[in-house]
Amino acid sequence: MTTAAPARFFFEDVVLHGVVETPGITVTQAHVNLYAGVTGDGAADEAAAPDLLLLCLTTGLGWRVPQPPLVVLAFMGVEWHVDAPLRVGDTIHSRSRTAVKRSMRDGGVIIEERQVINQRGETVQHGKFTFLVARRPATAQGGPA
Amino acid sequence: MADARRYWDDIEVGEEYESPGRTVTETDIVLFAGLSGDYNVLHTDAEFMKQSIFGERIAHGLLGLSIQAGLFTRATQAYATLAFVGLRWKFKGPIKIGDTIRLRAKVTAKKDTSKPDRGLLTVERTVVNQRGEVVQEGETDLLVERRQ
Repeated sequence: MTTAAPARFFFEDVVLHGVVETPGITVTQAHVNLYAGVTGDGAADEAAAPDLLLLCLTTGLGWRVPQPPLVVLAFMGVEWHVDAPLRVGDTIHSRSRTAVKRSMRDGGVIIEERQVINQRGETVQHGKFTFLVARRPATAQGGPA
Repeated sequence: MADARRYWDDIEVGEEYESPGRTVTETDIVLFAGLSGDYNVLHTDAEFMKQSIFGERIAHGLLGLSIQAGLFTRATQAYATLAFVGLRWKFKGPIKIGDTIRLRAKVTAKKDTSKPDRGLLTVERTVVNQRGEVVQEGETDLLVERRQ
């Protein structure tokens, strides 16, 4: 038996209004220090997590779900709102919902609404991600079983 | 020591800043993949990307966004920022390994809030590469302290 190619999620596979909830990650001082070192961006208050760090962590959380990764051709834009501060030691996860699925000539546009939620269930950040996603080639493997 | 931060009252619509340049390296991209957990092939698979329209690995869009936030602190004197409220952002082109980016920023709006001790500030931002091409652009909203 041969091993199948890694499953990938194409434009056709995306379910409009589908919701994906990720596992959590505890935001540590190590995350804050690494983030500050790489980007030069930090929080004004030492015990707080930089706001954009959480936005960045949600992209990794999106890889820790059973759904195969979306075949993104281009990340087109993001609209983002910070609702509440987050402290080092807090645990976040994210919830995403496909709000728009629009067919284009060379693929399709997906707009995803995303929330960052803390350990008390409070939304600390939310916004929209816009992606250009590939169509399934005639020979491609993967997608939902 | 005197407070060197600038208050909402002192910042004027129309102020413009330009940051120093920063060369985005392979190390930046590898560290950012490790930190964020975003290992998309766009950023991590050199062989796969040789066949792509980009011809090589590109930086995460959010790495560029985060680096410009760092460059802003080097472009002008610090604001007395209370909170980052939100942003509207577009990714216009790739940032490749070895590209040098800089930030151009302009204050475009000031608004009162319901609280007398703070005001809202909108800053328009453009990230350009060494060829002057716009790779990212958008607006950020900040809550800044007012003089008491």
